[in-house]
Amino acid sequence: MLQMQNINKIYRTELVETHALREFNLTVKEGEFVTVTGPSGSGKTTFLNIAGLLEEISQGKYMLDGVDVVGLKDKELSRLRNEKIGFIFQSFNLIPDLNLFENVDVPLRYRGFSAKERKRRIEEALEKVGLAARMKHLPAQLSGGQQQRVAIARALAGEPKFLLADEPTGNLDSLMARQVMDLLKDINKQGTTIVMVTHDPALARSGQRNIQIVDGQVCDFSQFNRQEFIDSKTENDSSSTQDKVTETSEV
Amino acid sequence: MFKYYLQLAWKSLKATPVVTFLMVTAIALGIASCMGTLTIHHMMSKDPIPEKSQQLFALQLKSYDENQSSWGGFDDGFPSQVTYQDAMNLRRAKVALRQTAMLRTGGAVQVENSDVAPKLEPIRAADSEFFAMFNAPFGYGSTWDKNIDEQPVEVVVIGNKLNNELFGGGNNIGKTIMLNQKNFQIVGILKDWQPSPTFYDLNGGGFGDAEQVFIPFSLLPVHEYPSWGNNSSWKYEEVFTYQDKLASETHWIQYWVELKGDVNIQSYQSYLKAYIEEEQQGGRFTRKDAAADLKNVTHWLNYNEVVSKDNSVLVGLSFLLLVVCLVNTIGLLLAKFLRRAPEIGVRRALGASQTQVFLQHLVEVSLIGFVGGAFGILLTQLSLWLLKSNYSSYESLANMDLTMVLIAPTLAISASVLAGLYPAWKICRTQPSIYLKSQ
Repeated sequence: MLQMQNINKIYRTELVETHALREFNLTVKEGEFVTVTGPSGSGKTTFLNIAGLLEEISQGKYMLDGVDVVGLKDKELSRLRNEKIGFIFQSFNLIPDLNLFENVDVPLRYRGFSAKERKRRIEEALEKVGLAARMKHLPAQLSGGQQQRVAIARALAGEPKFLLADEPTGNLDSLMARQVMDLLKDINKQGTTIVMVTHDPALARSGQRNIQIVDGQVCDFSQFNRQEFIDSKTENDSSSTQDKVTETSEV
Repeated sequence: MFKYYLQLAWKSLKATPVVTFLMVTAIALGIASCMGTLTIHHMMSKDPIPEKSQQLFALQLKSYDENQSSWGGFDDGFPSQVTYQDAMNLRRAKVALRQTAMLRTGGAVQVENSDVAPKLEPIRAADSEFFAMFNAPFGYGSTWDKNIDEQPVEVVVIGNKLNNELFGGGNNIGKTIMLNQKNFQIVGILKDWQPSPTFYDLNGGGFGDAEQVFIPFSLLPVHEYPSWGNNSSWKYEEVFTYQDKLASETHWIQYWVELKGDVNIQSYQSYLKAYIEEEQQGGRFTRKDAAADLKNVTHWLNYNEVVSKDNSVLVGLSFLLLVVCLVNTIGLLLAKFLRRAPEIGVRRALGASQTQVFLQHLVEVSLIGFVGGAFGILLTQLSLWLLKSNYSSYESLANMDLTMVLIAPTLAISASVLAGLYPAWKICRTQPSIYLKSQ
């Protein structure tokens, strides 16, 4: 589903170069539920933005569902994003002026579906998250958990193959967080690949596989050598990124 | 997608009513100022008789004393009017397809009905072909008989407006009106006719009302009508009587001919050349390079600078005001659009391309432009109405015709799109990932 090889992402300013990702390698198979953890500043968000085609890479190769996305133009990237990727954000990112129906409608509009098809999909998606009865409500009239469920409905309406979730439960209480996680697991069981960034160790264990990003890199935790890590860390101290990456085996 | 963008635009405008009001007002003011001056300019520059403007010619003669290098106020040295003597000689020859000598005069108009007060009216003394030449349409009757151009008779053609004032309208052919206490029989009543400008006589600036009373030119020596236009002479002459004036070298008569096709024009020019030679031989034209010139309506209007440079400067200034309004609109649009960056980040994440975001915002500014244009037309109408109410000379000028009504929204939308290009480009280029985390 997702194949990243030797990806580097460098942010350049006049004074400094920041290596957000370096020699980053990751493969996510179709139907997998991968959780991503790592300390702040390790490159998780950069990874998510690149995976979601929201940022370009500086070097490397990225294949998404068999498509080499490097060098694609904005129009093609947008179409891929629209057709293949669903986003779920920590702060829900619903558009406040639009009601639930219209919010879920947004990605479908860019897809070019007919009005009838859009209506069917919107109703189906809101039904799936248990909010079909409230489709004329504005986001502000819903609780946090309900807003996140709308965001999930919006992500699902286009039937994407790949769901990217950035701390989807970060703004929710534990009960609502559990409901959202159950919903994501259910979606994954139906075949959608999910990559979820989280800080919560318990949630990190709820995926099929957890990877850790440290110092903008992914590495196999099973081959981790503490002394080598310390040595390399000492060498890399002069660079602007800090950490190393561990990848755990299936949970 | 256009319908969707329109829905989004409408929602956006409703969501920020104050900013929307400011932007619409700025555009409406800019458009109103442009359309007001542009309307006046357009009406002034309009071809008053497009179907014939290339076949009607004002005739000029350069026959003044050789010692004067130039006289008459124009660069080419041709005075705009002719003498009575020349007018009489030329009209007698009847070489042109149609021709008329004419003069703006005036007098008291009365009818028998004592309920209608006498009124002072400008009168045009012209030849019978005047109406056919200048496409003045008759509601009732027709022009006077051609013989009257030679054998004067007190007949009159009146305009529809005067017919309504004197008789309450209707067919009043055969009735009598008094001009300066002399009876004139009505032979024709014109429909409403107001060429703008009144190109056939630009002495008064060209934007006054067309006369409502027309009498035969041949009556001039009979009733000794005074000139209500310009009278200029290149030499000192003792003019004590009306007959002195008719025989003088005073230029006070307008002379127009209708010529169709190059052959007709060339043959008339040959005739004019022969006429000048004849007058030179007769000793009246002492100037060796005496010449005649024919200017068609378009040329005549430009030559007389009917649309003054001041007017063009005013149009330029009003466009500058529009630019100022647009600059303010750009600022407001930038602020409004950039405030919406987080929403655009979400839209981009959900599959909107930069082009789609750009178009969405251009549709929004077009809608602002359309609404601003509509209010601009209303403001323009109001300002033109105020202008007409205070200055009667703008009666025929301060009117938006269909062209102007169509130009207003086109200009408003184009100007708004122009103003919106940078803000729309700026917002479509924003990096969505910045806003997705922080919203």
